[in-house]
Parts: sequence; C-alpha cells; structure tokens
Amino acid sequence: MTHETKRKIEGFVALFLSTLAAFIGLFWLIFILGDVLINGIGALHLNFFLNDPTPAGVAGGGLRNAFVGQLMITAFATLIGVPIGVLGGTFLAEYARGKKLSQIISILSDIMVSVPSIIVGTFIYALMIKPFGHFSGWAGATALAIIMIPVVLRTTEDMLSLVPWTLREAAFALGAPYYKVIIQVVYRGAATGIFTGILLSIARVAGETAPLLFTSFNNNFFSMNMNGPMPSLTVSIFQYAMGPYDDWHAQAWAASLVITLFILLITIGGRLILKWRYKL
Amino acid sequence: MTPSTKKNPIDLLFAVLTAVSSLSIILLIAGILVVLVFESSLAIHKFGVFKFIFTIDWDPVRKIFGAASTLYGTMVTTVLSMLIAIPVAVGIAVFITEIAPDFLKGPIGVTIELLAAIPSIIYGMWGLFTLAPIMANYIEPALQATLGKLPLFSILFKGTPMGIDLLTASVILSIMIIPFTASISRDAFNLTPEVVKESAYALGATKWEVVKNVVIPYSKLGVFGGCVLSMGRAIGETMAVAFVLGNNHQITSSLLNAAATITVSLANEFTEADSDIYLSSLFYLALVLFVLSFITLFIAKLFLIRAERKYSR
Repeated sequence: MTHETKRKIEGFVALFLSTLAAFIGLFWLIFILGDVLINGIGALHLNFFLNDPTPAGVAGGGLRNAFVGQLMITAFATLIGVPIGVLGGTFLAEYARGKKLSQIISILSDIMVSVPSIIVGTFIYALMIKPFGHFSGWAGATALAIIMIPVVLRTTEDMLSLVPWTLREAAFALGAPYYKVIIQVVYRGAATGIFTGILLSIARVAGETAPLLFTSFNNNFFSMNMNGPMPSLTVSIFQYAMGPYDDWHAQAWAASLVITLFILLITIGGRLILKWRYKL
Repeated sequence: MTPSTKKNPIDLLFAVLTAVSSLSIILLIAGILVVLVFESSLAIHKFGVFKFIFTIDWDPVRKIFGAASTLYGTMVTTVLSMLIAIPVAVGIAVFITEIAPDFLKGPIGVTIELLAAIPSIIYGMWGLFTLAPIMANYIEPALQATLGKLPLFSILFKGTPMGIDLLTASVILSIMIIPFTASISRDAFNLTPEVVKESAYALGATKWEVVKNVVIPYSKLGVFGGCVLSMGRAIGETMAVAFVLGNNHQITSSLLNAAATITVSLANEFTEADSDIYLSSLFYLALVLFVLSFITLFIAKLFLIRAERKYSR
C-alpha cells in the first residue's frame, strides 16, 4: 500500500467516525424524545390536567395541583429573579463597562450558571426551611430565582453590549441623564434580546427538580398557599417514577411529556427570535 | 465615554440599584460558602477535613460519616462519562464545522444543543424505565462476555447486571454533557483562520490531516475548556443519576454495582436526616461538592478566557 492510499484511508475512516458521532447525538435525542412521546401520550387526557391526585389505586387522578404549583413557583421565581438579573446586567454593560469589577462579576456569573442546582437547594434549606421548621413554596421560588439571576444577568449584559455606543452618545448630546438613556434608548434597542433571555431562563428553571426537593417539597393536595409545601411537576415526576404503581408511572411520563414540550418549544422559539433579530 | 452620574440624584440612585443587583452574585457565592460551612461545623468538628474525605463509612445508625464512598462514585461516573462523551462530542464538532454541507450546519448544531435543554429529571426517568433494562439485558451481559473475559478488565464487570449501576449512570451523564463539549468545540474550531487551513490544503493535506494538524492544535485551549466545563457539569448532575445509581454507599471495583455520588446522597437523604450530625454531614457533603465544582468551573473558565484572548489577537 502506498503512502497516499494510507493517508486517504485514514482520512476516510476519521471523517466517517465524525459523521457517525453526529448520528449518535441525533440518535440519543430522537430516542429520548420519542420514548417520552410514546409513553406520555397515553395518559394525557383531560382528567390529567383537571383532577388532583387520587389515593393510590383509585383511578382518575391527575396532577392539577402540580401544574398550578409549578406555575406559581416559576412565576414568583421569575418575579424575583428577572429584575435583579436585568438590573445587574445593566450595571455590567453600562456603569461598569470595561472595568475590572465588571469582568470579575461576569466570570463569577458564568460559574454560577453551572454550579450544581442541588447546592442552591441546600443553601435555601438552611436559610428558609430549617429556621421555620416547614417546607414552603416561597423557598422553592427563591431557589429557582437564584438559578435564574446569573442566566438573565449574562444575557442582559451581552444584549446591551450589542447596542451601538453611538446611539447612547446621540441621547447624551440631547442632554439626557444616563438612567434615561438606559431606560428609553438602550433597553428599547435590546428589548427583544433581553426578552428572549428571560424566556430561555424560564425554560431553564422550569425543568429543575433538585433545588425543589427540599424547599417547596411536595404536596398531594391542591394548594395555593406559598407558605406551605407546594407540589411541582418535576418533584411529582420524581415521586411517581420512583413509586411502585403503573398508574403513577404513566402519569409521570405524561407530566414529562408536557414539561419537555414546553421547554423545547420555548428553547426553539427563543433561538429563532435571536436568529431573526441578531443573526446569531 | 461614560457620563458622570454625580450631577443627577435619580441617576445616582439607578446606578446604585444596578450595582447592588450585580453584586448579588458575589453575595450569593459568599453566602452559599458561609452558610454551608456554618451548617456543617458540627461535622467538621467531629470528623475533621482529611478524616471526612478518606472515611469510607456512611453509617447513620452508628453516626459515623465519611465522604470517601460518595466522592468515589462522583469521580468514577464523571471520568467514565467524559471518556464516552468527549470523542463523540469532538466528532460532532468536526462533522458540523468540516463535513456537513452549509445548509445542515445550523440545524444539526441546534439539534445537538437541544439535548442540553431536556431537563435532567427526564433523563433520569428515561434512564430508569428505558435505558436500565436495555443495559441489564443486552449491553452489560455483552460486555461481560467480551471485555469481562480479559484479565485486567474482568474486575470492572463483575456481578449480576441489574442496570442500576455506575455504568448506566455514566452513559446517561455522557449523553447530557455531549452538547456542552460539542458546542464549545465547534465554536473553537470555527475560529481557526481560513487562511491557515487553506495553506495546509495547498500543501496537499487531506481534510482529516487539516483537522488533526491545524484545526485541533489551533483550538485545543477552547476544546480543553469545553471538556473541563462539562466535567463540572457531570460532577454536579443530580436527578439524571439519582434514578439509576441506587444510592448505595460503597466503593466497588465493578461498574455493574450500585453506588452513590455526592449529589445522589443529598437528593435521597436530605429530608430523611434524623439527627443533627447526620444533617450536618450532608451539609458537609454539599460544601465539598460546592468547592469541587466551583474550582473545576473556574479552571474551565480560565481556559476559555485564554482561548478567547488568543483568537481575538
């Protein structure tokens, strides 16, 4: 075999393996999503959304309580996390632009994005559960908010940095103070991006389970009391999947399907918006 | 140039408000560290640092706690998942940047990244109901029959394949970290200047030789950073492994045995801790995990920053 054919064969094998790797990735995605779809769609009827859980063995139960709980926890987490994240990102991109402090906080936020979410759960448990002696929806919402803050902060910073500096200078030249420039010019220019960042951060926390396990805990009954234990879809999935009943497993699959669809739709939608608006 | 904020009181107020919001990140990190140290002080006093890390026992009845078994589980699943994930992830990056036709580059990249959007609890459940039986019935017996027969590998595949074990957990983890490594590697590959690649082609190099001798050496900092980042992710992943690891505190040479990681013990035992020292030891585990993942992620970030500086020059 000549040297050239050897090189050609080696190249062919390597490129073939790379293509194979791409197909392995696609294979896992289709396998997991297909499995969730096939197993989840069966239990997905109206009762599933409208009924509360029934005692084990009694047919006709649903997860209405978990849907409402999940919505409330996520909504309050958004209300706490988004303002802090957006304002924090504003500081990094505007008042502290180019300063060392801005870089440090940026790096630390990037690290916080990847810090294990269960750590946040233990942190909130120590602060908000242990002193009071009972689980609460507020604790769950706070834990999710803490996970949201660095995500929103970083996207806001990036999006504000994309707004051309000359736009600000034009507003300064009209005599506008900096806060007015930020709120009326910069935020408007970056609105789509910030909004998309918020959407993606909601998708990120909507699937979180670990930080809720010992903060909002779980509740088999319908509850809108944020001071008591709150059910959530993800913790219900955990409890039902680990449980012994087939009916529970079916409902866990159905809940998984709903939450996966929700998150994938937001993620894809958010990416399309970014692509359309910023050509990212 | 940034205008002065001193003249306008509202502007000053807004500046302070944003500053406090962004400082909340530093406050959070410091707060987590302080709270975890405070909560685990009981266990730190009783077990010390080195003794805790090297004690294998995790015995709530005799109230003796050590982190060795869970650290071992975390290490084995992390290393094994990276061994599986990195070749696939780099392969995906090569495919997207060098092989795929232009109209496929975007869609395939996004599709792979969707793997990262699937919540970890879904991975966990899928692992328990779908992957674990497949592993137990087909893959693990096959491994035992082939690799398990070799002298050095045999200790890795001892025992009855149940599917609830270190190997299954590592496979799930590997699927979860593929998108992180792949997308960072892809971005790093994309930053290789066309001119450098074209000069290699002009010398008669094949596509693979360009990738191997030009693209990968040029972007190795970024790829390495991506690998360390996914390592940080694997260390802290909780729900995906909680279903398929069995939470059995033991150090086992066989990958087909149940084990525990730090995250899995936290998820399973936190609400069940019935004594102060038990809860304190769990907080101690959380502290160890926090420090471990923080350092890993910090190193990853340093690599990525250095890579960024190198390319932007």
